[in-house]
This record gives sequence, structure tokens and C-alpha cells, in this order.
Amino acid sequence: MTAAHQATSESIHQTATIARTQLKVGLEIHVELATRTKMFTRVPNVAHPDYYDAEPNSLVDPVVAALPGVLPVMNRRAVEMAIMVGLALNCDIAEFSKWDRKNYFYPDLPKGYQISQYDLPLCGDGAIDIPTRDTATGDVGTRRIGIIRAHLEEDTGKLGHELPGGHHYAGSLVDLNRAGTPLLEIVTQPDFDSAESVVEFAKELRNICRFLGVTEGIMQKGHMRFEPNVNVIIETTDGHHFATPIVEVKNLNSFRSVRGAIEFEHKRQVEEWRKTGRVMGRGMKQTRGWDDVNLVTVLQREKEDAHDYRYFPDPDLVPVTVSAEWLESIRAQLPELPIQRKKRYMESYELPAKDAQKLVDERDTCFLFDAATKLSVMGTHGGGFGGEPKAGYAIAKLLLNNVAKRGNELGKEIGELGLSAAQIAELAVMKEKGTIGAQAVDPILAALATEAGASSESVAACAERLGLVQVRDDGQLDVWCDAAIVAQPQAADDVRNGKDAAIGRLVGHVMKLSGGKVDAKSVNERLRAKLGR
Amino acid sequence: MSGSALRDSEVRHVAKLARLRLSEEEVARLSDQLGAILGHISKLNAVDVADVEPMAHPLPITNRLADDVPTAPMPIEDLLRNAPAKEGRFLAVPKVLAEGGA
Repeated sequence: MTAAHQATSESIHQTATIARTQLKVGLEIHVELATRTKMFTRVPNVAHPDYYDAEPNSLVDPVVAALPGVLPVMNRRAVEMAIMVGLALNCDIAEFSKWDRKNYFYPDLPKGYQISQYDLPLCGDGAIDIPTRDTATGDVGTRRIGIIRAHLEEDTGKLGHELPGGHHYAGSLVDLNRAGTPLLEIVTQPDFDSAESVVEFAKELRNICRFLGVTEGIMQKGHMRFEPNVNVIIETTDGHHFATPIVEVKNLNSFRSVRGAIEFEHKRQVEEWRKTGRVMGRGMKQTRGWDDVNLVTVLQREKEDAHDYRYFPDPDLVPVTVSAEWLESIRAQLPELPIQRKKRYMESYELPAKDAQKLVDERDTCFLFDAATKLSVMGTHGGGFGGEPKAGYAIAKLLLNNVAKRGNELGKEIGELGLSAAQIAELAVMKEKGTIGAQAVDPILAALATEAGASSESVAACAERLGLVQVRDDGQLDVWCDAAIVAQPQAADDVRNGKDAAIGRLVGHVMKLSGGKVDAKSVNERLRAKLGR
Repeated sequence: MSGSALRDSEVRHVAKLARLRLSEEEVARLSDQLGAILGHISKLNAVDVADVEPMAHPLPITNRLADDVPTAPMPIEDLLRNAPAKEGRFLAVPKVLAEGGA
């Protein structure tokens, strides 16, 4: 910044009226890949579900511990997973990429350097469209977010200050289970203009990674960590623009903290500019951390040479080349992604955008939906719907209305209830065929899905046990209708005399006699026939 | 001696990054020695490499990739054997506050 420039902004920042302020955010995301083994050695990887609960320092070998004389060997699956994410983000996949050492000393980094990719990352330039949600209407359109790069590296170990049993330890305790876990670092363009859009992107990225099967994306386990780079463009009423210095907020591992940190920075940076007039420039970038208790960002004091990482090519590792053939074989492994599924649900099943979005928001719900739809058309319970479109629509409504309601009662997502696709399909087909009434769906779900998990009982057996199978016996229906007419003579007369509304009392009486086992519509018809209407 | 001694401040900076504590005498000596090494290496600057593709690795091979099949970890006793300090299953170090780089 020149002296003249400084002088101008000094006078303006104190006196000017701010017309508007605009957030500008780019995001770095670290994703731990759930390979079975680590990035550069074959000892098990703590980010794989089989090893989530491994004892501290039980997933270590001489490579992880950086004992003298060891050599790293690349994990083919980690490279493939990274490319899968790159393809899902529409990145250019590099035909040639290499490994570099990022040198720094820290107790969670046994080698004294992290193997990363500096100038030739595996995935380059890309972009994805993320759904934008209107809180009022539920859904509108998409927003395009540019991806600068995605590169592979290895995670560090973990530092703790608590011994088992919660006892505080005065020093730091090193657990190397996480050291060497394959880590994909994704960097976006600064395309976000609100905390909300960053969170939408983060959720969509998590969802994509879960559909790809490269991580379960459990936030509490640190499977995904976010680092927003935030600054604010301040526009004054006299038409001047000021860009505040960029702040990087480190290591956020919940959507709530991502939102909180960005919103806080928006406010803080405007206030800071008012006080100091400082604008973006060389050496102005700050690193801050998020205080989850006081809901503020806190300046992280770093030594001035903390970023002197002295990157250089790792002589222990040869470069990675990706042939067209290998790339195509990886592309062939890509599953249908959320945004493609949403489009298919809207087109094939004529579902409203809002419903289609809800189905793809959660991977397990989505898989359950697809499997149940297929079964209800072709499986043991098939044939109830005369074709997939109608089945898809009915299953979607069943999941998003009844099953979601049961989920809410138990505080679980639809896919977490443990109900099988066969049960969902059977329930939908029985309802469609009239074997059970609409009013029987919720009690059946309540019986099948409980706090403890889902029963494996068939829906037919459950409906039978609860006495919810519809009575289709006309003789029995006649008996109950006649009984209702005798018991409610006034209502019967009213209906005969054209007071239509009175029939409700008679229908209610029959429902009560039958214990809800009859379909209200056929009761209504039968009563009308008997009363000559 | 090429005469291109490193500045003392550069030597101190590099020493700090390498976590080395140097005496004034050592700084002076290393300034000369490192300068000599750099001077020797800097002969390479004379070569015109404008049309040469950067070399990522001295060996002309790529893709030494292993299958993702687990092997046995090392016993915890072996891991902790060389540790200057340990506490239960952990390596123990002086207190550090934040997480590292990554």
C-alpha cells in the first residue's frame, strides 16, 4: 500500500457512510479418504469404518512412525478415490502429478514433513452446481462454484491433553493413528457471497463424497474439515470500494461453526476497517480460530516464518501418471450423483423439486428410496403400481410423509430407522391395493420402527398382529352398517332427507364398530346405498 | 571460496527452521561454508534450461502403486520403546496448544 493510498483510506474509513458490504468467501476442505490402509503404507487407516474405534497408537508401523530407512509406497485406491471426487467436481484430471515435501516441525508430524502436492496437483480446474434453497418455498435453482484444485496429501497425528477416564495431562499426548491417513484437500474459487451458500456447498460436497463412497463424512470424527478464507468488500455511499484483509479461519468441523465463523467475520471485519482503515494487501492475511463457546474468532499468533515450508519434490516417491484407460475405468465406477438423481426423480416420477431434493439430501434415505421403488415394481411385492413412475411417486410420499414423521418422533433420519427396502415396498403396495387403509400406515410404522431399531417382521404380519388388515367381507360390512343405522336413527333420517353432512356420524360409528379395519370410502358408499342416496 | 557468503540473518533463519541453536562463532563459520556450497551449486545457473522440461524425479518410472490391503501394525511396545517420554498408550511431549499444519 502506498503512503498516499493509506492517507486517503484513513480519512475515508472514519467519515464515510457505508452503503453496503459484501462477503467474499473461498473454501478449503480436507476430506479424509476411507481407504482400508494409509496413504503411503499398508497399516490400517483410522478413517475406514472398520478401524474407527482403534486404540490410540494401534495403527502405526515403521513408516508412520518415521523410523530410519523406511520408504513410502502409494495407495492405488486413494489415488482412485481422489480422482473420483475430482471427476464428480468436473475437474481436469492431471495426466502427470508429483509429490512434494512440506517441511515443518510439530509433534503430530513424525517425519518433520508432510507429503503433499505443491505445483502439480492430481485434480485441477473444475466447478459444480449446488442446489440453492429458499427457506420459504423449499427449492429454487442452482449456483455454480468454481474449484481451483484438489490434491492428495497425508493427515497428521492427533494431540490430546486427556488420559483415558478424562484425567487431565499437563503436557501433550500424541496419537499417531491418524498420521498418514489419505487426505484430499479441495480448494474453491472465492465464489461465495454468504455464510449460507458456503454451508449449502459444504453439505452438498459431503453428500457427494458419501454417494461416491470415499468417506462416511462423520463430522464429529473430523472426516471433513473446513477452512474458509473470508473478506468483505465495503462500498461507501460516495462510490468507493474497500476490500478488507483476508482472514483464514482454521479447522472448522461442523456446519454450525462454518456458518458462525463466517457471519462473525463479516461483522468483525467491517468494524475493524472502521477503526483502522486497513485493506487487503501483502502481509495482511491473518489466521484465526473459532471459539465454539464464546462464538467469536480468535487471532492465532503465528511465528512470522511459520509458512516457510521449503517445499521440494519428494525423492522417495515417483510421479503419478493417469492414462486415458485408467481414467475411464475410474469414471465407470462413479455412481449416479445427487444432482443427477434429483433430475431423474423429477422427470421420471413427476416429483416436485422440493421432494426430489429431500430424497437426495441424505444418501441412506436415497438408497432406501431407490431400492424400495425397484422392489415395489419387480420384487415379491411387485405389481402393485402398474409401473415405476407411479411406484416412485407413492414411495417418495410414503417416505417423506409417514416415515419422516416416525423419524422425527425418534430423532432419526429416514435412512437411520433401520427399515428395509422390502418393508417400505410392502407397506406401499399394501396401501395401494387397499389391503390396509391409509390410517393404518402410521401405527404399522410405529410398531416396526422403534427406539431400539427396526423389527424384521413383514408388514403383512405386523398389520395382521395389530388387527389393521381391512375387512373386505361384504357380509360383515352390511352387519356393521345396519347396526350403525339402528343406533343412530336421527342421523340416518337426516341423510335420507338430504342432509349430506350427517353421514359422517354413521361412518364414524361403523369405523368404531370395526376397530378401524374398514375403508371409510366403501363404508360411505354402502351406507348411501342403504339409505337410498 | 566463492566469496558468496550467506548473510548471518539467513543462516539464523535456516537454523531456526531446522531447530538448531548456533553460537555466534558457528553462524560465522556456517555462513562461509554454506556460501561455498551454494557457490558450487550455482554453477548450474550457467546452463540454459529454457527448453528443458522440469524433472520431477531422477528415475524414469511412474505409478509404483500398492493395492489397498492391510498389513499388521507394529506392537505398541516397539513404538514406545524409543520415545523419550510416554504416558499410557501415548507418546508424551511438552504442551503444545493448537493442531499443526496439515
